[in-house]
Amino acid sequence: MSLNYDDDMFVCRCEEVTVGEVRQAISDGAIDVVGVKRRTRAGMGLCQGRTCERLVQQILAQELGKSPAEVGSSSVRPPVRPITFGALAGGDF
Amino acid sequence: MKSYDVIVIGGGLQGSSCAYQLSKRGHKVAIIEQNDVASGTASHTDGYVGFSEKAPGIDALQGWHSVKLYHELQHELSYEIEFEPTGFMYVCETEREFAAASDYAKKIRDQGFDMTVIDPKEMCELEPNLAPDLVGGILNKSDGLANPYRVVFAFVNEAKRNGADVYTHTTVTDIKRNAKGEVEGVVTDRGDFLAPKVVNACGVWAPFIGKMVGLEIPIEPRKGMLLITEKAEPVTQSIEVLEFGYWLAKFFADFKRPVSELVEKHNVCLNIETTMSGNTVVGGCRLFKGYDIKSEYEIMQAIAERAIRFYPMLKDMHCIRSFGGVRPFCLDHLPIVSGVDEVPGFYIAAGHEGDGVALAPITGLLIAQIISGEETPFDASPLAWKRFEGVDLATLAEHP
Ligand SMILES: Cc1cc2nc3c(=O)[nH]c(=O)nc-3n(C[C@H](O)[C@H](O)[C@H](O)COP(=O)(O)OP(=O)(O)OC[C@H]3O[C@@H](n4cnc5c(N)ncnc54)[C@H](O)[C@@H]3O)c2cc1C
Repeated sequence: MSLNYDDDMFVCRCEEVTVGEVRQAISDGAIDVVGVKRRTRAGMGLCQGRTCERLVQQILAQELGKSPAEVGSSSVRPPVRPITFGALAGGDF
Repeated sequence: MKSYDVIVIGGGLQGSSCAYQLSKRGHKVAIIEQNDVASGTASHTDGYVGFSEKAPGIDALQGWHSVKLYHELQHELSYEIEFEPTGFMYVCETEREFAAASDYAKKIRDQGFDMTVIDPKEMCELEPNLAPDLVGGILNKSDGLANPYRVVFAFVNEAKRNGADVYTHTTVTDIKRNAKGEVEGVVTDRGDFLAPKVVNACGVWAPFIGKMVGLEIPIEPRKGMLLITEKAEPVTQSIEVLEFGYWLAKFFADFKRPVSELVEKHNVCLNIETTMSGNTVVGGCRLFKGYDIKSEYEIMQAIAERAIRFYPMLKDMHCIRSFGGVRPFCLDHLPIVSGVDEVPGFYIAAGHEGDGVALAPITGLLIAQIISGEETPFDASPLAWKRFEGVDLATLAEHP
């Protein structure tokens, strides 16, 4: 599969990260999804990467000549979906 | 075999800062990092940069120097570190805490640094979202925030420009020494590297590197957890806020507050700031639980409860993420920043507990100055390995 995404296309809409920024992160040394996330904030927004993670994986795989599995995924951490502090404090999760 | 003047083990906050300062002085440097740079505690941390979390004396002094360095580094480094001198406030829930805080503020002032006592009215003017029933607080205007990953990336980038080599996904498994016991290099899972000087900047993992040269380094992982809100209206007014109980709990294990069983059980104390990204970071806790960094629901519950106590508006705000991390807690609450006489060529830059973001600049500077034989900006001997001389580190009881 070949991808010809433009550098100015948005990958992560929550944090407004572009394809070009992801590519830059890779040339700065990122070799996996977490490395890209730390360098660009892609996946740190409201949806926590639910929308952009696949795309970040594809770009990584293409740039590095690896399989999507090799470039990993983001660590899953609670909460599974946004929850109010009130609900959290009430032990309601 | 590759050969260097200095090898820095660990590409975290301390290691990257050491590599930057060393390379700036013309040393040929390599960073060897077992994962990616900024992947250890550097990526599971808050970004408070100040000296207000420190004890009066050498601790506050090194903190003050480090904050001053941050003011310079933001211009010196070519990569944005998102440093912002936001100021800092401790808030007190009880008269007892307020008395202790006022006393602490006086000691800090006596050292020549800024720390003023403020009444509830001033507190609420500065921080309108705070609960109105607090007793008082103390305030400092020079402390701030930085983005911890970006600090590491900035130091690493700059070190590379100065000619440093960075080996990621390379694990140090042994230290090479000659017959006289002097350091000659390191052994890694990707081959050997030579250097007459090696810096152990491995944070919570520093004891493993210490064992390779027969040292028992008294550092233990001390867990913390943080909750992140959605991007929304600012909760704090570009200031870092902590409950003074945080400071008391850090230094006095037997300190008790009027809190729920859950908050007590997990040693939860409020720290909060709205960052440049628009998210608010809410913590935290201090627990000895080994190297485990998973997010625990009970701790999240306790942090949420404690945070609402001080900032009632959080009740209706969303938490989008949580994470845990381990601080490199050192036996006497001071980092180890020095050479080791009994192992010539071996240096330690580790044990910064909850202050490793704040202290990274001064630690890197001190190590580079010690290695280059330059004078340090203050007497750094209280941070030296030598302070443990005569202490039987091997038989020290495990921390509770
Ligand atoms: C929840 C939480 C909140 C915090 N908040 C703040 C704050 O607001 N302000 C503040 O100043 N500090 C804070 N801290 C503390 C701060 O994060 C730490 O003090 C700091 O990250 C320690 O830096 P370091 O360079 O010593 O360790 P690290 O950043 O962990 O770097 C050590 C590196 O060594 C590498 N390594 C280990 N073993 C080997 C080996 N054998 N070979 C090669 N590499 C190896 C690791 O992979 C790691 O990258 C907080 C910590 C936590 C957990």
